[in-house]
Amino acid sequence: MQKISIDPITRLEGHGKIDIFLDEEGNVANTYFQIPELRGFERFCVGRPVEEMPLLTNRICGVCPEAHHMAAAKAADAVYKVDPPPTAKKLRELLYSGFFFTDHTTHFYALAGPDFVMGPDAPVAQRNILGVIHKVGLEIGGKVIQARKFGHKIVEIIGGRKIHPCTSIPGGLTKGITEEERKEIEEMGRWGVEFALFSLKLFNDIVLGNKEYVDLILGDIYTHRTYSIGLVDERNRVNFYDGMASVVDPEGERLGKYATPEYVDWIAEHVEPWTYLKFPYLKKVGWKGFVDGMDSGVYFSTPLARLNAADGMATPLAQEQYQKFYETLGGKPVHQRLATHWARLIEVLYAAERIVELSTDPEITGRDFHRVPTETPTEGVGTVEAPRGHLTHHYKTDERGILTEVNLIVGTTNNYAPISMSIKKAAENLIKKGKVVTEPMLNMVEMAFRAYDPCFGCAAHTLPGQMPLKITIRDAKGETVEVVKQYCE
Amino acid sequence: MKTQNSYQVGQAVDDIAIQPGILIIGLGNPILGDDGAGWKIVEAIEREWKTVDLDSGIPGRSKPVQFEYLSLGGLSLMENMIGFENVILVDAIVTHKQPVGSIIRLRLEDLPHQTANHLASAHDVSLQNAVEMGRKLGASLPSNIFIVAIESRQVYDFSDQLSPQVEAGIPAAVEAVFECLQEITSIPPQEKDCSKISNKQEILP
Repeated sequence: MQKISIDPITRLEGHGKIDIFLDEEGNVANTYFQIPELRGFERFCVGRPVEEMPLLTNRICGVCPEAHHMAAAKAADAVYKVDPPPTAKKLRELLYSGFFFTDHTTHFYALAGPDFVMGPDAPVAQRNILGVIHKVGLEIGGKVIQARKFGHKIVEIIGGRKIHPCTSIPGGLTKGITEEERKEIEEMGRWGVEFALFSLKLFNDIVLGNKEYVDLILGDIYTHRTYSIGLVDERNRVNFYDGMASVVDPEGERLGKYATPEYVDWIAEHVEPWTYLKFPYLKKVGWKGFVDGMDSGVYFSTPLARLNAADGMATPLAQEQYQKFYETLGGKPVHQRLATHWARLIEVLYAAERIVELSTDPEITGRDFHRVPTETPTEGVGTVEAPRGHLTHHYKTDERGILTEVNLIVGTTNNYAPISMSIKKAAENLIKKGKVVTEPMLNMVEMAFRAYDPCFGCAAHTLPGQMPLKITIRDAKGETVEVVKQYCE
Repeated sequence: MKTQNSYQVGQAVDDIAIQPGILIIGLGNPILGDDGAGWKIVEAIEREWKTVDLDSGIPGRSKPVQFEYLSLGGLSLMENMIGFENVILVDAIVTHKQPVGSIIRLRLEDLPHQTANHLASAHDVSLQNAVEMGRKLGASLPSNIFIVAIESRQVYDFSDQLSPQVEAGIPAAVEAVFECLQEITSIPPQEKDCSKISNKQEILP
């Protein structure tokens, strides 16, 4: 068996090592996508007070600290069996909407955008945010910075500081917002709605108006007919902060909904000997390997999965876009992973509309933003939708609230199996009968996992700051025939 | 500022005037082993800064210096540098090419320039591209971005402790930051040419 190895030596946001094995005919037999686990977080947490977790888990990841802050706060509420007052829940969701707005915007313009705006075949030197600005105009860059600034500002107003919020505690928040702050948030939200509509129009003009791109999205390369999971409200509409987890099968039928503490009845984790990270799958369906279809328990959890798992969006303009999305792509569910970029923009619009809704809610400036816990702490689960997937924190404590057990299932982990499958498909497309198309290899593999917006690691920004990839291609005898690499020896 | 239609494109980046001061940023994750080295080094500098006199002889002691601790990269890091004339980034580095605890001093432009950069971070752009983008948009970004990095290894294990070799390298890293301050304070404004100050080492890929 031949072996192709993508083997990084340094890291940023974690890194992945990809091994591709070929069969005797020179076609792809298997791909192995390894993600190094950041070790010892559970050990680091055990023995600390549970109320520290919203601050501590903030530091797991530099990409989505707000998501960990929220999941930890909800889990800590559950540990203390305290239901935060409505004002607290609304403030948390408002903060969270600001975060989603910024995070998704950054992904679209800085990462996904270049492939579509510049084209997947554009020289690598142009396929970045600078290329986008050059092509579409300087104004775009200003809007992106503006959008980021507003999201950060909302997080700062409610969360006490930028990026790493610190105000959520068991039972609610440590502070509320003033009328002046509320007005400022509302104004930013209204700007955000316009910006989201502008972004969707840009996507419509540049991507949907180009047959080549539409063919790429609808093509088979990045299509997997898996189950979809996402949080939904009581009317089965997408919600980022709260609700039941909805599971929809590859045909679009709802397999069921569960309250998030029941996740252990629904989700199991498959272990492979070649990687530390486990592969979550649907217990009721079972693990059948890295395959899609009705009988395989593989699911995904992304903006596209959230749209598939819901019946619609809870805000009017996003709902219009939701309908257009499925009408254009041939009905529900949509399995083409590149459509995730479109779904992400619909979520940007939803987040902005939700900022306006929540900031104009009469309760949002209420002073009842914390309920003092009175129960003895025991065990609790907190789940939110992180931008890159379903995020669950599960804590157990002693009677003093000191942590005895910590379990986290993070957004990207949910997508580990489908990402692996997408990488395999990309490889199959580039390696046929021993003939390896090396040039686009790195970008095709990147595009495969970029749709999932994965975050493999944590907040580390250790220099030199690039994710290395090394693809070693070996023939059936194990001899190296080709090496494709970037940023590594 | 906050009237109807007041949030104009570009405002986000040009509403802060350039400051003559120096910003020293500790970068990294304070609970991820050696990755927290940048924070610890800057904490040590800040302690020293606050306990010595203005005329102590520490370079730049009389200058306005701000300290910041961040777990950010790319666009967010760029946004935090807006308004400063000089920035010193202090971070962990993994080159595998020199002993753990060694200090590397270089300039942003000495880092390998990655033009594609999707993979520079799973969710961001490279700092170089972010800075270039910010400048194009008219942001007041530093003319001088110094980097002081300490060779590290244990960056996968959650811990609030540094490995002994990295811990031992902190005084040398503090010294390297002071050297950067010396450079900054000794350059007349019109001669701020990065190439003159860098002691770039050929250790990066």
